[in-house]
Amino acid sequence: MTREEIVKDLKGRFKADIIDFFDKSPKRVYMEIKPESLVRCASYIFKDLRARFNIASGVDTPTHIEILYHFSLEYINLLVTLRIKLERDNPAVDSLAPVFKGANWIEREIHEILGVDFKGHPDMRRLLLPDEWPAGVYPLRRDYTEWDKNAIRDRGV
Amino acid sequence: MAKSIIPIGPYHPLQEEPEFFTLTVDGETVVDIDVSIGYNHRGIEKLSEMKTFDQSTFVIERICGICSTSHPFAYTRAVEDIIPVEVPDRAKYIRTIIGEGERIHSHLLWLGLAGHFLGYNTVYMWVWKLREEILDAMEILSGNRNNYAMFKPGGVRRDINSEDIPPALRKIESIVPTLNKLKKAIIDDPVLHARLKGIGILTKEEALDYCALGPTSRASGVAKDVRKDAPYGAYDQVEWDMIVTENGDVFDKVVVRVLEMFESVKIMKQCLENLPPGEIDLNIKNIPPGEGIGAHEAPRGETFHYVRSDGTNRPARHKVRAPTFMNLPTFKATVIGETISDATIILASIDPCYCCTERMSVMNCRGKKIYSGEDLVRLSQDKTKLIQKKMGLK
Amino acid sequence: MKLPKIRELTEAIKALLSKPYTSKFPKKPHIPHPNFRGQPVYNEDKCVGCLACEQVCPVEAIDHRDDADPSNPKRIMIHYTDTCIFCGSCEAACIADKEGIKLSNEWDLAFFDRKTAQETIEKELQLCEICGEPIACKDHLKWIAEKIGELSYSSPTLYFSHLKSLGIIDDNLIQASRDYGRSDRVKILCARCRRESTLTTSSR
Repeated sequence: MTREEIVKDLKGRFKADIIDFFDKSPKRVYMEIKPESLVRCASYIFKDLRARFNIASGVDTPTHIEILYHFSLEYINLLVTLRIKLERDNPAVDSLAPVFKGANWIEREIHEILGVDFKGHPDMRRLLLPDEWPAGVYPLRRDYTEWDKNAIRDRGV
Repeated sequence: MAKSIIPIGPYHPLQEEPEFFTLTVDGETVVDIDVSIGYNHRGIEKLSEMKTFDQSTFVIERICGICSTSHPFAYTRAVEDIIPVEVPDRAKYIRTIIGEGERIHSHLLWLGLAGHFLGYNTVYMWVWKLREEILDAMEILSGNRNNYAMFKPGGVRRDINSEDIPPALRKIESIVPTLNKLKKAIIDDPVLHARLKGIGILTKEEALDYCALGPTSRASGVAKDVRKDAPYGAYDQVEWDMIVTENGDVFDKVVVRVLEMFESVKIMKQCLENLPPGEIDLNIKNIPPGEGIGAHEAPRGETFHYVRSDGTNRPARHKVRAPTFMNLPTFKATVIGETISDATIILASIDPCYCCTERMSVMNCRGKKIYSGEDLVRLSQDKTKLIQKKMGLK
Repeated sequence: MKLPKIRELTEAIKALLSKPYTSKFPKKPHIPHPNFRGQPVYNEDKCVGCLACEQVCPVEAIDHRDDADPSNPKRIMIHYTDTCIFCGSCEAACIADKEGIKLSNEWDLAFFDRKTAQETIEKELQLCEICGEPIACKDHLKWIAEKIGELSYSSPTLYFSHLKSLGIIDDNLIQASRDYGRSDRVKILCARCRRESTLTTSSR
């Protein structure tokens, strides 16, 4: 399938789920979808369009928390990004780990760094932060403040 | 049957960076493996939000010591994708030269370490002596042996003088005869065949399910390489081949890396001889609001950077994804079912670049130490000696 | 099986007969290639003291201290060698034709006491003639006046600095009275005093 056919297919198949479709350049497409339809869209792109899952990025903005899922379709040199927007108070979304194993680790990382809950993840443990890190403190959020009084914050001389 | 748990790490001499593996063994066979990482987490994504776009390039360069160019390469491409804009041709060629030089020295480093794990210490010393030629060539071209500081959003920071090209080219081409000898020695050696073939197999379906990258997936038959699929830099203007093999075991991963070095020398030679004249920098003054994605084929796989800008001179969000992040979970598929003495070489064969290498120690469930770190390296080297004896070579 | 052995044997004999590959440092000094990026070194004559290198440095390895003593005003530029990453951003950002700070070839920089790991130079500082606060280094004001040519005659700060350095007007020329009126407008002033002298009327 060519690039135009894939774009038309995505727009038609997920008409009810897409909030915004941004065709930025020949190699980049950004699709904003509703959080409920994430697993359906991602499974279609991964399994039927044979895309490769690159990574998921979590972003903290003043009004909401966004998660972007990047999929790469190498055979037509196109990168499709799915964007979902979640509430800041209690962000939760279905996990993609049962669909493909590549999403396992990145969801653990976003959970501990931004505080997003992934429902249905088989193994939600800490990935990067140490065990003494206090629960409920999310480092990548904009309102993060230093909690460690013993940390050295100068040149150290 | 009583099961023992073997912790490997966080500080182990077999790995280059700290990781903590826990192997659950039943006798000699591994039945489960778990990885915990995070010993080298430096908060670079948060730090990148406090620096300007130009200053952030230097922070990003120091994410890794061995694949130090791949991160600024992907980052500058991501920033240029926000606008979007293409850099001048001379800058593309210079970027390609630095990227390929780094690939050669990274694969040589890994080859030496793999030789050490298997007990071939001579290979270790010879290959690292070869690596000095490449590091000298990079010093002539860029000014430093490791962190080259050549990249900036919009082009490159320094130019390559035309009188520096012949000595650098001579040094790079001087490694090809020795590499040829090494290639024949590795591919023909029956001890290596017996030691490495058939262990740590990653099938094509598993490679696609875990979304593995780089030589780890190319050894399993997945023919994906960012330089061919989404050409950038000078990769579409020079002749080179992608190396793909079918079996997915450790031997194939070695073969893929050795053959890739020849292709890198070819690319560097063509780029250095045909460097186009012109500007090296676009002089971008400000980055408009938007988001951009940049990718580069690092020695270990595809490095992926996502940058979001809100119109100021600092990134609003910078996501870094190293290729080892997607390759590490494949341990669950490759190590289970193998023996302890093979576990170390399988763990090293994906070339982990997550800052780790430390003591390994083996303890059984009651906490009694059975083996220490050096013992496990010795176990791996002993297995090689056993195979050599069996084949009548010792 | 025999052929590979011969291959390895010739390599081994060659390695035995040739001299070792490692260098004899420290008995013989190591001289890096001229392209090698070593420690940045300030040039006290060419540096204008503009602080561009301090703003650009990615790791905050350059700092400055202003000493506003009226008898000997100076600005001390400090470069911390233990924090420096030898990237060359300071050299690329230097406004004095990239000559104020340059990367040399020095690489042997080990030290025992971390507090001694810094290099400093001193530049003469220009103080405001009314309030005594530092404006900028004298060389920097001269540089700006030379760069904008005849347009510097719109600001007494700039043209006085230039003419004093050329020796055309007396270096010790100071006004006797201080009335924030016309005579105070024709002095070397900092930004705040210049605004106050321009906007207020002569009677106070």
